[in-house]
Amino acid sequence: MRFTIFQESRKGQRKVNQDRLAYTYSRDTLLLVVADGMGGHVGGEIAAQIAVRLFIERFQQEAKPTLKNPLKFLQDSMLRAHQALGSYANQFSMLETPRTTCVACVIQSNYAYWAHVGDSRLYLFRQGGLIGQTKDHSKVQYLVDQGIIGANEVVDHPDRNKIFSCLGGLVDPVIDLSRRTPLRNGDLIVLCTDGLWSVYPQEEIARALTGTPILKSSPTLMREAELRGGPEGDNLSVIVVRWGPETLADEPTTTITETLGLGEFQTEIDRTLTLTDRKGAQRDLTDDEIERAIAEIQATIKRYRR
Amino acid sequence: MGVTNQALPSGYQLLNYRIDRQISRGGFSIVYRAFDDGGGPVAIKEYLPSSLVLRTEGDIVRASTAENLTSFRYGMKCFFEEGRALAKINHPNVVRVLNFFRANETVYMVMRYERGRTLQQQIQMRQDQVSERLVRHVFMHLLNGLREVHTHKLLHLDIKPANVYLRTDGSPVLLDFGAARQTLTNTRPKLAPMYTPGFAAPEQYREPDRLGPWTDVYGIGASMFACLAAFAPQAADARLSEDHLVSAKKIWAGAYSDNVLEVIDWCLRLDPHERPQSVFALQKAIRDIPPRKRKLTFLDTLKKKLFSEVV
Repeated sequence: MRFTIFQESRKGQRKVNQDRLAYTYSRDTLLLVVADGMGGHVGGEIAAQIAVRLFIERFQQEAKPTLKNPLKFLQDSMLRAHQALGSYANQFSMLETPRTTCVACVIQSNYAYWAHVGDSRLYLFRQGGLIGQTKDHSKVQYLVDQGIIGANEVVDHPDRNKIFSCLGGLVDPVIDLSRRTPLRNGDLIVLCTDGLWSVYPQEEIARALTGTPILKSSPTLMREAELRGGPEGDNLSVIVVRWGPETLADEPTTTITETLGLGEFQTEIDRTLTLTDRKGAQRDLTDDEIERAIAEIQATIKRYRR
Repeated sequence: MGVTNQALPSGYQLLNYRIDRQISRGGFSIVYRAFDDGGGPVAIKEYLPSSLVLRTEGDIVRASTAENLTSFRYGMKCFFEEGRALAKINHPNVVRVLNFFRANETVYMVMRYERGRTLQQQIQMRQDQVSERLVRHVFMHLLNGLREVHTHKLLHLDIKPANVYLRTDGSPVLLDFGAARQTLTNTRPKLAPMYTPGFAAPEQYREPDRLGPWTDVYGIGASMFACLAAFAPQAADARLSEDHLVSAKKIWAGAYSDNVLEVIDWCLRLDPHERPQSVFALQKAIRDIPPRKRKLTFLDTLKKKLFSEVV
């Protein structure tokens, strides 16, 4: 498998980041997963974390190195995550089960398969055009389908946050499964939370990511999206995959999985580290100081060598 | 994250080391496996912050703007702190620095190469509950290493399962001293503190003047909690406003000895004064009471089963 991948989560203006995302791959199969823990409910971030971890762990148990049935894997994992959240709430005697949305995608043998619950989305772009996407399990999407409101009214609608399917909810989740979708080199797969899609229409995402190496365009996209979110900006997260080898100039950024042994996995979980920047403390380190620091460290190493 | 810095290629000769492959990539560095003159494996950490794109081809690190150069040099101080901290410590449970040098317009730290996996991976890969024996074994040895660190008037400040390496023989090694600080000097740390939610103590967020051995003790407690739970406890800053953390003693009653559970809860106290004040005090608490053995009741087994569904 050859692909280029980017993932990032930003807190926006919220106190906590309740989005979680991760990808993992074996030699022959790639899994992407994004979850948006539901604010207003207890432990949204816990829910998102549990869902993402469960996908990763099940993948590592079952992708040896391919999944027998990717769609079944996705469906089972969603259900298992839903049940796990219930058990978790039980275990800690929580009054309310932690809840989360979830969108996950498996890519195997040049085919993509995906599943989602709630309003975290997947877009599949080919040559700048949208060829596949998830349909939100939300009240506004329902209103759009019924022709009651237009698609452009979705992001400002007062009920835009109401979703009727989630993991950890009182009723079993509605899980939408995609078809087995063949991929071509250059296809872009984008998984994102509502923090991104509510401020960045799908056409604009396509335009921003097409024609530029995704490792350059994606960080810009996220920065811009966070700005657009404004003072009330929600958490926003994205995983972007460009399928196939990059063009010559970008070759070093392509992930090549053939070097992975059977039974080996590479996993990246966005740990949403907090980095505090204290302005004013910066001062340049001179060449002299660098040399001195190195000499000091080398002397110490020698002194303590036994 | 948008990492576009290019790693050194396999076979690259770096002084008297030959790069074999990239092992990992962090926010501030790339770690490679390499071989020394005698063909022995070493781990080499290259200072190369991922937030600054400084090398898109070749081997030389170049700052494209004056501003970039300032940030690059500034972060280098952090790397030196780590080198200084580790150079002094020669302990089986602390990663050993073998060399430190400048090349390609950046700096490199050569460390002993260890085989095994991180405690984090161990937790993630386990099929069922981590045994008390394993928890005791890993943390008793780890605390020996940490005690040595504290003896040198250093604090680790980023203790978490991802920074604990388990050798193939099961012995732990404390890694990644990127956040370590000298505590003897009176100057407040000037570098941007970086902490991991769930494992960082409350005083790391708010009161950098109150850092002490008890700060690492919190990280130890959180890591032990994570071993049992397979996820981190609630982040300390969130706990300060609304503490949802359920005590280990409540969650795992019966599944582990009261001693171990009480120790975890003790380490995770929000008030630094209420935690064990030194690694020695903590070790004494763990050692004092021998692990209590009792058979699992039906209810325990059920609880355990339910819980294993979660992770």
